Amino acid sequence: MKRIIILLSFLALITIIALSCERDDICAEDTATTPHLIIRFYDINNQDELKQVRQLEIIGLDDDDMPFSTTPILNRTNTDSIALPLRFADEGVETKTRFQLVKDADFADNMDDSNDSNIDIIEVKYTPEFIYVSRACGYKSIFNLGTTGGLTQEIDADNWIISTEILNENIENENAAHIIIYIN
Amino acid sequence: MIIMMLFPMTSQSQTENEETISDTLVYKQKYGLRIGGDIGKLVRTAVDDDYTGFEINGDYRLTKKLYIAGELGTEERRIANGFIDVTAKGSYFKGGIDYNTYTNWLDMQNMIYTGFRVGVSSFSQTRNSITIFNADQFWESPSTDNSIKEFNGLSAIWIELVIGLKAELFTNFYAGLNLQIKSNISQDQPDGFENLYIPGFNRTYDSGRFGIGFGYTLSYLIPIYKKDKKVVVEAEKN
Repeated sequence: MKRIIILLSFLALITIIALSCERDDICAEDTATTPHLIIRFYDINNQDELKQVRQLEIIGLDDDDMPFSTTPILNRTNTDSIALPLRFADEGVETKTRFQLVKDADFADNMDDSNDSNIDIIEVKYTPEFIYVSRACGYKSIFNLGTTGGLTQEIDADNWIISTEILNENIENENAAHIIIYIN
Repeated sequence: MIIMMLFPMTSQSQTENEETISDTLVYKQKYGLRIGGDIGKLVRTAVDDDYTGFEINGDYRLTKKLYIAGELGTEERRIANGFIDVTAKGSYFKGGIDYNTYTNWLDMQNMIYTGFRVGVSSFSQTRNSITIFNADQFWESPSTDNSIKEFNGLSAIWIELVIGLKAELFTNFYAGLNLQIKSNISQDQPDGFENLYIPGFNRTYDSGRFGIGFGYTLSYLIPIYKKDKKVVVEAEKN
């Protein structure tokens, strides 16, 4: 009798400990959920070399081409790779997001006429697909850039983006670059 | 764990062969069918908006210690967090044996038992809505899909280890509680989704195939026949 009560409580304890340690109900930060679009910058004259963009600022644009938020996606940084959040609403519906990429963003603030920032706009077009992840994280969205028109660049008088190339049209994770941008 | 459960069986009376003068008393032991229900599930049905459940259970006494036991039930459970809202619904049957490890005094018929079950469940899952998980909240409004999606014709098989007790409160009227440790053997997973809750098995865990359950039962014994139970009473030599 005594033995069984001990056994019973022991078993109950083990199960409670085992189950309370479960992380099932919190979506762990290292879980791969909805990916960013990864873009890397390469030198147009030396196409195997990464090239840093000086003081790059990225602004997400709304449907009226106005800044969506007062906070930029990326704040004036020298960088050769960027991760862009994609906008999406419905599964299977082609969606686009426009980004304003500002090179030498700090030059916009000074009064020196000999230099200025350079604004280029890119448009990414993709189809979201919802994929089940886990009980805690629910679903994530992955994106397909399609075979044509996944990335277009607005042509202006002085583009600092020379050309673009889609490396991987399926944006399923953040392990590698999906798009390459060649710059001068 | 199964090996541990066997220990109590090996630790019983060693006193039978002693040379003492002894009286033998005979008590009648009832054999029959005990039928009841799980009141825990009824209470939870009343209290928890996301749960509806009902279970009847029964056992039939085969020998002094061995019972055939089974449960039949139906459950509906909604699981909702910020990202997913799913209702699982279905019925289940569990069958197996209980082994009474408790040596009763006199004519008492209480049980402290261990047992095992094989459980089967047939159920469906309905995805009420999902909100896509996006760690980056730059574009603010998260995408929510409210279209209802049903995953029908799902099934699962599992085994359970049961430990519990049953006490006779009034004549032929028993109250019991038990703990079930479950291990999934096989299940149909819905396409592009997962079984979050299996009626009878309860919620599933990401880490593996184990599950847990509790039962609070009230049951009534329908006596069918009686058998003698001989109790040896030792008297001191004068």
